[in-house]
Amino acid sequence: MNLVSKRAAVLLFFSLLLLIGLSIFSIRYFHKASTWIQHPANKHLFENGKLLSQGAIYDRRGNILVQINDGSINFNEDKTVRTALMHVTGDLGNNVETGALVAFRDKLSGWNIVNGLYSLDKRTISGKEISLTLDAGLCALAYNKLGNRQGAVGVYNYKTGEILCLASSPSFDPLNPPDVKGNPGKYEGVYINRFLSSAYTPGSVFKLVTAAAAIDNIDDNENKTYLCEGNLQIGKDAVTCMSSHGEVTLEQALANSCNCAFARIAIELGKGKLQEYANRAGFNSSLAIDGIKTAVGKVDLAEAKEIDLAWAGIGQYTNTANPLNFMAFMGAIAHNGMRVAPQIIQGGEELLFINTPKKERILSPQTAERLKQMMRNNTLSVYGEGNFKGLELCAKSGTAQVGGEKKPHAWFAGFLDREDFPLAFVVVVENSGSGVKFAAPIAASVLQQAINY
Amino acid sequence: MNGLWENVAKLLELCSAKVAGIFAGNAGLFSYLEMTAGLFTFLVRGIFPLLTAAVLFLCISSLLQNRKEDKIWGYLLAKDGSRIPLKHWENSLGRSKMSDIVIAFAFVSRSHAVLTFRNGVWHITDVGSKGGVEVNGAKVEKSDLVNYGDTISFAGLEMVLAPAEEAGPGRKETAPVSPSPLDKQNKSGLAFTLILLFQILGAVQICISLGEGLVPAVPVTFLIFILSECLFYITVCWWGRGSFDLELLLFFLCGLGLFNIASANPDFLYKQLVAIYLGIVAYTVIGAVIKDPERARKLKYALVATAVVLLALNLTIGETYFGAKRWVDLGFTTFQPSEFVKIAFVMAGTATLDRLLTTRNMTAFIIFAGVCIGALVLMRDFGTVVVFFGAFIVIAFMRSGDLRTIAFISSGAAIGALAVISFIPYIASRFAVWGKVWEYADTAGYQQTRTMIAAASGGLMGVGTGNGFLANVAAAETDLAFGMLCEEWGLLVALMIALVFVFFAIYAVFLAKGCRSSLYAIAACGAASMLLLQAALNILGPMDILPLTGITLPFVSRGGSSMVATWGLLALLKSAGNRFNAGGAGDMT
Ligand SMILES: [Zn+2]
Repeated sequence: MNLVSKRAAVLLFFSLLLLIGLSIFSIRYFHKASTWIQHPANKHLFENGKLLSQGAIYDRRGNILVQINDGSINFNEDKTVRTALMHVTGDLGNNVETGALVAFRDKLSGWNIVNGLYSLDKRTISGKEISLTLDAGLCALAYNKLGNRQGAVGVYNYKTGEILCLASSPSFDPLNPPDVKGNPGKYEGVYINRFLSSAYTPGSVFKLVTAAAAIDNIDDNENKTYLCEGNLQIGKDAVTCMSSHGEVTLEQALANSCNCAFARIAIELGKGKLQEYANRAGFNSSLAIDGIKTAVGKVDLAEAKEIDLAWAGIGQYTNTANPLNFMAFMGAIAHNGMRVAPQIIQGGEELLFINTPKKERILSPQTAERLKQMMRNNTLSVYGEGNFKGLELCAKSGTAQVGGEKKPHAWFAGFLDREDFPLAFVVVVENSGSGVKFAAPIAASVLQQAINY
Repeated sequence: MNGLWENVAKLLELCSAKVAGIFAGNAGLFSYLEMTAGLFTFLVRGIFPLLTAAVLFLCISSLLQNRKEDKIWGYLLAKDGSRIPLKHWENSLGRSKMSDIVIAFAFVSRSHAVLTFRNGVWHITDVGSKGGVEVNGAKVEKSDLVNYGDTISFAGLEMVLAPAEEAGPGRKETAPVSPSPLDKQNKSGLAFTLILLFQILGAVQICISLGEGLVPAVPVTFLIFILSECLFYITVCWWGRGSFDLELLLFFLCGLGLFNIASANPDFLYKQLVAIYLGIVAYTVIGAVIKDPERARKLKYALVATAVVLLALNLTIGETYFGAKRWVDLGFTTFQPSEFVKIAFVMAGTATLDRLLTTRNMTAFIIFAGVCIGALVLMRDFGTVVVFFGAFIVIAFMRSGDLRTIAFISSGAAIGALAVISFIPYIASRFAVWGKVWEYADTAGYQQTRTMIAAASGGLMGVGTGNGFLANVAAAETDLAFGMLCEEWGLLVALMIALVFVFFAIYAVFLAKGCRSSLYAIAACGAASMLLLQAALNILGPMDILPLTGITLPFVSRGGSSMVATWGLLALLKSAGNRFNAGGAGDMT
């Protein structure tokens, strides 16, 4: 008997196969069920190919951004709002992958993993109403300020994580889609939400990362000075400044955006430290905004020689930055080193009522405070408080060289040091020129509007 | 969680609106009823997964606790005064460590003899030993009777057979921790109550869901079914014998099947109900017949003979549906011979230990397996081929323990399968869409995509029985039964049901350890492997994890032959758990 009963264990092997099959099924289910339900054959959602759901997306003030009614999709009445928010809502052709019509399709149908498509009131297969954290007016302003230049603008509340303003240019009116293929120059990457899904060379705004590493790792960095002769020779190559800055402290180097000083600092820090602080600042990783993943900004120093390290320290070399991710880093500096994950859906995906934003400490409170002071000093001593009245602005500009004949990308990023308006922001204008000249004015008007509502 | 909360909020909103409406006098009785119905669905759909979990937990834990005390059926007294207990009806003796009684002398063969207890009498069988076996000095040629007090010599090593104890055979040697009978009774009683609750709530729910489409057959069927269960419960309690948790599990599964049919095809409800009763009859009869291993052996030959006739009949006068020739029309009803052959197939593979160790060859079984599988291939019932082949592997391994032969046969089968896949268009097309059904969503992937869409629409808690749309797909209540469970009862209930089939397999292995005869151990494992594989194909096929084969989910899918046959297979599993009241002098409780 012993013999036969021991051999019976072969049956356990078969059970294991079924268990593995069930696991594969469950995993697929949790990943794909929200896609499966959207098939037009789903009688819970569609009748003769027409969508039954009644979902709608609103901005934070209750303005309709997009609405699904009796199978047709309606957008906001105002053309500017429609255009400015095209990347948020998505277009009728579902070309914008991060657009709500695609990204939140399952939510709009009223589906969730617990209840499936069950709804209490059978007659109206209740689609869901989603309220976004965005302010449509602010988005429209930002879009208008970008004008016909390509770029992105973002503003978010660094305490709650709510994204208030988001703009990506170029865009188009989803009700009157243009001939995108016929105008490759004008509509270059028009389906991409540049704020979420692009990565640009950061240029000088990256000096904030280098500065954070310097504050923590260089002895007596408050008093230590670096000599700038307008040119720093490293091997055959050289890092240059517009003019010679002389002996500068870390604070002065940041305010004047002194390349030579930051090149020296980067070399002093070494690859390891700079890489560590870049990773902490959010480079080489993606943020998930209510399930939408941002593009990854990269800093990879593994193969960097000394000159490369010098360039990397001032935001050149192979560095790239995702605007949203960089804005979240600004928020962290403003918020005592604590990065609050940005979100775009009001209430988010949190349990029941309690809306606890996801937080992550990326800098020590002391480091964040010191950076904040330095960024405030930038405004006071360089950008001019008069241009940013009442904003308590802490910021850093950037003019990122992109090589070739192209003009540099203009960056302006920072935050308001105000209890009542805890806002962090980022502005990128592609191939325009100086950050202070092209990006800062956009930031100024959007932020003034944000606090004057 | 968010969704749950939203529903609560919506519910409150709806209620307040309706109440306001009633006071305003503009809400008729109809909308009031509708609101109550909506409320009912809302409340019960959260209860069903809990009830399912509780029922399964109670039944399964009770079954696994059910290990009866090791009983001693006799002793062998050695010359040195030691007393070797005989714990089974079939005890192998030999030098091999796998023997039940290990005799570590070089002159004893690895597998020397088998001592069998049958109808109150002991027999010794020489299983081809070198040194031979003698009883009271007389050489045993093949098999011989042994009385208490007789001296048995194993190649010269002498032992005396002694009765279990003055108290008679079946004395308890140890008293392991075992729950008191009362406690067990309460557990089963609770499980039964919860099943009733589940089915009553479910019956109300489906009547609500079907609304205008409700036919009298639905409430009548559930009324009859629930009353029958009560009758069964009262009978077994009054009889007061053994545990019936296994039967409770089966009732639970059958009940879910009835819900599926009520949702998809209520015309078949009465037929299914009759099939369930026939299944219970088959279960009882087979269970009674195979209590005695001798009778079981005779039954085996009868079944094999019938199986061959049935298969021949099927191939000559069978009806062809959907490219498969599986049905035989008897005029008043049709049936699927291959379903009944399942029981014959498993029984054909069984053998008592003495025979197993004497002949050591499975030629007869392999030939029979070849005939069955060949016939199934001709009938184009390839899902069943896989089920039979899986059971064949399990049985063949339990009998021979020979991995090499099995690997050899399996590779042969794999080549055969490849040939079938490439040369039979009907199968080739199913393999062609496997893994990419969404590309063929409205053609060859129709059933799979609809099943996945429906399953996803159900979420964890389901849309409520009777509210699904998969029910409208042809043959959903048979081939896509698991998908229907997902959609209407939710993923949680469906997965738990899938785990019941895993449990059957584990339970068979668990029972095999304490079986009195290898015949029951093999039968139980063979039967469990068939149920397991059938469930696996039904569950994983429409979900595009395995190729779609169109096979029934045991106990749940609609289908008379399949229902009767699966109950029959369960009788084999049950019989492996019977240890006291099985046959002859051993029958004392
Ligand atoms: Zn300088």
